[in-house]
Amino acid sequence: MPLWFLRGLSRGVVTTRYPARPDASAATLPTPPAFRPRLLTRQVADRLVAVCPSNALSRQDDVLVFDIGACTCCGRCAQTAAEAAAGPASGAITSSGQFELAATSRETLLKQIPILGDAR
Amino acid sequence: MTTIEPRAAQAMELTVRQLTGLGGLEVIGGGATRGAATVRLLPETLEAATHVLASTPGIRLADMFADDGGDAPTLRLVWARGPGYLVTETEIETEQYPPLSDIAPAAFVEECEIYEQFGIRPATGKPLNRLMLPPHAGPDFPRLGHRPARPPDEAHARHTVAGEAFEFPFGPVRQVGVESLYYGLVTSGEEVVDLYLLSWHKHRGVEWRLRGKTPREAAFLAERVEGLSAAALGWAFAAATEAALGITPPPAAARTRAVALELERLYNHAAATAALCQATGLTVGQSAAEIALERLLRVNAAAFGHRYLFGVVTPGGVSRAPDTAALRRDLPGAYGELRRTADALLTTNSFVDRLESTGILTTEQARRLGLVGPVARATGLATDARAAGARAAGTPAAGARGGTAAGPYAEHPVTVITAEAGDVLARFQVMLGEAAESVRLIGEFLDAGTTADCVEIPNAGGTGLGWAESPRGEALAWVALDETGRISRARLRPGSARNWRGFDDACRSQNVFTDIPIIEASFWLTAAGLAR
Amino acid sequence: MNPGTREAAAASRLKDTIAAQFGRSLHIRTLDTGSCAVCEQEIRLLTAPHYDLNRLGFFFTPAPRHADLLLVTGPMVRAFDAAACKTYEAMPGPKIVVATGACALGGVYRKDPFVHGEVAEVLPVDVWIPGCPPSPLALLHGLGVAVGRLAEKTPGLTFVAKEAADPETGGEP
Repeated sequence: MPLWFLRGLSRGVVTTRYPARPDASAATLPTPPAFRPRLLTRQVADRLVAVCPSNALSRQDDVLVFDIGACTCCGRCAQTAAEAAAGPASGAITSSGQFELAATSRETLLKQIPILGDAR
Repeated sequence: MTTIEPRAAQAMELTVRQLTGLGGLEVIGGGATRGAATVRLLPETLEAATHVLASTPGIRLADMFADDGGDAPTLRLVWARGPGYLVTETEIETEQYPPLSDIAPAAFVEECEIYEQFGIRPATGKPLNRLMLPPHAGPDFPRLGHRPARPPDEAHARHTVAGEAFEFPFGPVRQVGVESLYYGLVTSGEEVVDLYLLSWHKHRGVEWRLRGKTPREAAFLAERVEGLSAAALGWAFAAATEAALGITPPPAAARTRAVALELERLYNHAAATAALCQATGLTVGQSAAEIALERLLRVNAAAFGHRYLFGVVTPGGVSRAPDTAALRRDLPGAYGELRRTADALLTTNSFVDRLESTGILTTEQARRLGLVGPVARATGLATDARAAGARAAGTPAAGARGGTAAGPYAEHPVTVITAEAGDVLARFQVMLGEAAESVRLIGEFLDAGTTADCVEIPNAGGTGLGWAESPRGEALAWVALDETGRISRARLRPGSARNWRGFDDACRSQNVFTDIPIIEASFWLTAAGLAR
Repeated sequence: MNPGTREAAAASRLKDTIAAQFGRSLHIRTLDTGSCAVCEQEIRLLTAPHYDLNRLGFFFTPAPRHADLLLVTGPMVRAFDAAACKTYEAMPGPKIVVATGACALGGVYRKDPFVHGEVAEVLPVDVWIPGCPPSPLALLHGLGVAVGRLAEKTPGLTFVAKEAADPETGGEP
């Protein structure tokens, strides 16, 4: 047992200070997408809805409904958006960088993303 | 992967010729299951052929499943023969087929599964228990084929040991932080007389769900059958679809897959170490192993963007390349943590004493049940799917169509780690040896170059077999695609689905209740992989 | 003050008292309704040295009788309903149910004869934690939100990114 005691002492503290302080390892975590409404068209939105394997996206008229709860951060929508358009238009989806997503109501997890790309 | 080595290809041909000698055979080339030698058998010759294969040394029954493609269900047996696989296909027109588990005991669980899904049964008097489907699964419950004419049994052997033995039901809600799993623990007191597992309360019906999906759509679910083997099962599934379509991922992409697979092996073995410490009550060891585990998961996140390597392997190739710099920088430290913890554990007598002679499996038991992975290797069997070699569209023995391609482990061979004792300590030592091998292999793959590359998936039909060595053993996948390129039948068989049947043999006799968690940690399987 | 407002005020005070108690000492029971085993691995890491749940006054307990919070993973396989309900009913009130992971929140598996698709179909969920799997940090945040110790961020997030010239993420457009 002295073996373990000394090992532990020399190892030091690895415990995170989260939630009091941010934790650097959060930077490598996958996060849900963030959308750019001006680069979203109905056509692109429909392709995103079709490619999502987890029922996290649906379209109602000119609104893309994004269900954060169902999102697995798999990145297929971002990849599809990048392939759907060339140049600056390919940036319709970027990473949100958000991982603290807990919610006390189911509705809070449903986000309405306006589709403004057709209006141009 | 290289072609099957000439000697092995000859041996495979010999087996096929032996079988052909039985008459009533059609040897199909690259027409049916690609990626393996395929033999079509008439029902009359199935029993004799199974005899030949089961009694040939070096051949192991890897899986058995059915599919309802044509007028009658087709029964498929997948036999592993060193490098390469042999698939026998038989159309079962009547309700009964020969009693294969009498010849190959490794098939008895699959017989139950096939009966409840397809309604065909072996001609034996043994009870066929309801296995995967829940008790309320009535006639209209979704099945892969036709429902059985008579509902499955609910029989469990009664035991008596010098008086009474009673069944102690445990689960499915068990300790905190472990999966739901039901243990039927038959005991006469402290000793384990029998132990059977029920996992139908976790059955998500993944194989049923995959029908009608394209390979890329299905890969999302395939890797979530058993998330702790996501890279392995994802690779097996991707390889099956690639074999079916006759395409091959570029070598550098295959090396990326192998890096992911070895990283998966590393973190799983670290997790198993932590579980062993927890089971033996060595909290300091558990904490030390958990530090190593967390560091390895962070290496995964830094290298591939996901702690559990989800979404890396995709049919046709890989979706991302590893961050080589981050991997080279962070992996040595993380592995060093595991290495130092393991070294300290192996010198802690109170820990080693709990592992030695606990949960012994003999080589014969492992062979009879067709076990895979560290569990089998700890009994002395040198089965490792990474040494299985060929990942070819068709095989030389059966007339290859399309090219054969080199796989990553051909140029970077694995040293298969085995042990003799078959107890928990042997399994632990095999895992540690494999972890060291994995680090070495990752270095080699990175040196040889890894990319994020993917070939196009044609919308075509075909059937194919794929495999990969998951941390808990060989993961197999078989896929049948229709002409539009969508799945008509997918078979996913994670390592857990193979190895849980060895768990009760390992727990029986000489072991007491408190040994069960230790043995479970040394197997390091999942209920999700069993229930699918 | 009319009776309705008095009751509402009392309920609010009771809720705050409960949250204050839970916030300092909380016992958690986990429940797997059909997960792929990875959510469980992240939950196990909560007591690992890197995260050390216990320093926050949160503890795991195997007995539902001693538990205050039920941490549920998996898409609620229908065959598991009875076990799920029994575990929930065995917990004395007041109790909190937290559904964690995309499967438990309606993703990955649609509702069909095998699964309900989300935990909320069977159990009354109070807090939802997204992720596949939710990392231990996300779980810590979610547990903090569940006991009122940490603020929810999601109501303020729109998941609309600034235009390409200024890639601010997750904030206001």
